[in-house]
Amino acid sequence: MSDPVDHVARTAERGAPAPEAGARPTLAELKERKARSRQRVERGGEVMTVSMGPQHPSMHGVYRAELDLDGELIVTVRPEIGNLHRGVEKLAEARTYHQIIPLTDRLDYISGFAMNHGFCEAVEKLMEAEVPPRGRYIRTIASELCRIANHILWLGVHIMDLGTQTFFCICFRDREYVLDLLEMLTGARLTHSFARIGGVAKDLPDGFDHRCRKVIDFLPRRVAEYERIVKHNRIYYKRAKGVGIFTSEDCYAWRVTGPPLRSAGVARDLRKDEPYAAYDEVEFDVAVEYNADVYDRFLVRMKEIRESCKIIRQCLDNLPDGPFLAPDFAHAMPLKKNVLRNPSAMIQDFVHVFRGPQAPKGEVYRAIEVPKGEMGVYIRSEGGAKPARVRFTTPSFYHGQVVPAMVEGEMIADMVAIFASIDVVLGDCDR
Amino acid sequence: MKVWSTPPTLEAAAAALERRFGDRVLERLEFRGELTCVVAPADWVELLCFCKDAPELAFDQLECLLGDHLPERVATPFEVVAHLLSHAHGHRLRVKTSLAEGQALETITGLWPSAGFDERETWEMFGVVFAGHPDLRRLLTTDDFEGFPLRKDFPLQGTVGGRIRTDLRGRI
Repeated sequence: MSDPVDHVARTAERGAPAPEAGARPTLAELKERKARSRQRVERGGEVMTVSMGPQHPSMHGVYRAELDLDGELIVTVRPEIGNLHRGVEKLAEARTYHQIIPLTDRLDYISGFAMNHGFCEAVEKLMEAEVPPRGRYIRTIASELCRIANHILWLGVHIMDLGTQTFFCICFRDREYVLDLLEMLTGARLTHSFARIGGVAKDLPDGFDHRCRKVIDFLPRRVAEYERIVKHNRIYYKRAKGVGIFTSEDCYAWRVTGPPLRSAGVARDLRKDEPYAAYDEVEFDVAVEYNADVYDRFLVRMKEIRESCKIIRQCLDNLPDGPFLAPDFAHAMPLKKNVLRNPSAMIQDFVHVFRGPQAPKGEVYRAIEVPKGEMGVYIRSEGGAKPARVRFTTPSFYHGQVVPAMVEGEMIADMVAIFASIDVVLGDCDR
Repeated sequence: MKVWSTPPTLEAAAAALERRFGDRVLERLEFRGELTCVVAPADWVELLCFCKDAPELAFDQLECLLGDHLPERVATPFEVVAHLLSHAHGHRLRVKTSLAEGQALETITGLWPSAGFDERETWEMFGVVFAGHPDLRRLLTTDDFEGFPLRKDFPLQGTVGGRIRTDLRGRI
């Protein structure tokens, strides 16, 4: 097994320039590069309309795009979403706040806990409910595990879209270790429904600490191996470097958040900027890259896996004692084991199941950093146990919208790479 | 207990809005450290344009735009709510306007192109028309869908397709 540095040298020998370390192009330079890669669209010719998806193998989920093609150049794109629309917002209006939690992890089913977490943060803001420290730490651990699982899956799918099958299996194998941990913690592999208003559903199980440490010691080594395989691979380099440039200005205009924004040189991360859970008590760096292309989005996600491992390790080291669910009669459910033994817990259970937690009149918006970007929840309450209006502002909705602005003028083969690089999940997009 | 308070930059932004628009900001609400401004539909685009361009506000990102239905308000049952975010200052603002049935609102896709899908969704879910929107079609539901599903008078089970046969319960 050779050293990664050799690969850099070898890539350079074979003609591709070695990635410049620490080079930071300015916004003007990025714009000029973007314009250069897209000036080909001016060519006039016969335009052919092709439907890409919803069953195209490199379209994610049921996303469909109508492409107008001039040869292999994309002239216009008309995205069609909605094939997976389940009316979650309408359903939420007919349910109590506790009952909405299982709907939320069906939004982005790749990182279900992050969605539970975002909704609970919003409800806690509305009700001014407090989360005990242990609950906040367990939430942080579960959120970061979801982030790792999401990014590893993303990497496998992204590379598969570019034409490799084997690497997908490698990623799936490693994701399985993380899903096993999540299963041990929450009881489910994908749809966790683990967060509760005022904390989480269960404490860390016995032996979790040991297994989790093993996995997070092991994963950074795996990430190094992914980078050894992918980062200096000439085929990947040529298909990803300088492709799909999307500057920070464009990101603001189109509400592109998360790794695509951070790859454009913006150190924007809600975990730092508007800290929630235990993120203000742990140390980590925001992953930033500067070239705003597909390649840098890959680099950002690999950095984020490493940072997530760091966060989880600190959370396990400093895990406080105490309750993981707030002993809060008004807002939180009681512990299940107490319900049949303790009369007050039984009353609390009755109140929450049949009447639901009472929210004050008002409206809140709370955003958190989910693996795909910034996910916000808007709740308008008229008092009582059910919200009057809920809106899930999910990142994939906007990332699905931005595809025309990203790919018009590029080659059709690049569309596959670009679309995969922004990480759209259609459950998240269609709600 | 976490205390939600309005950030000082947002106070300055609200003061700037007050100076520029005065009484045209119909209502100013604060709840959990969030500021909400209510404006008339006629001032919608002008106010959002000011929010984007004025240096004290500098709202460079439209976080989301959504519709709402309040049937108890008979004259103006519909609401359109925009959430703005400033990367420069790190503050957020909510701007609202109330509309009557069938009343059109001017589009803001010229200010933030990300409003395109949001406005399409608001139209298909509530029937609020956005004048000047480049492509106002149904987005999440099928093209032949009838009705506006997120209105409060729209039944939860829907108006088309199969229904749950509660009359057969216990017999099969």
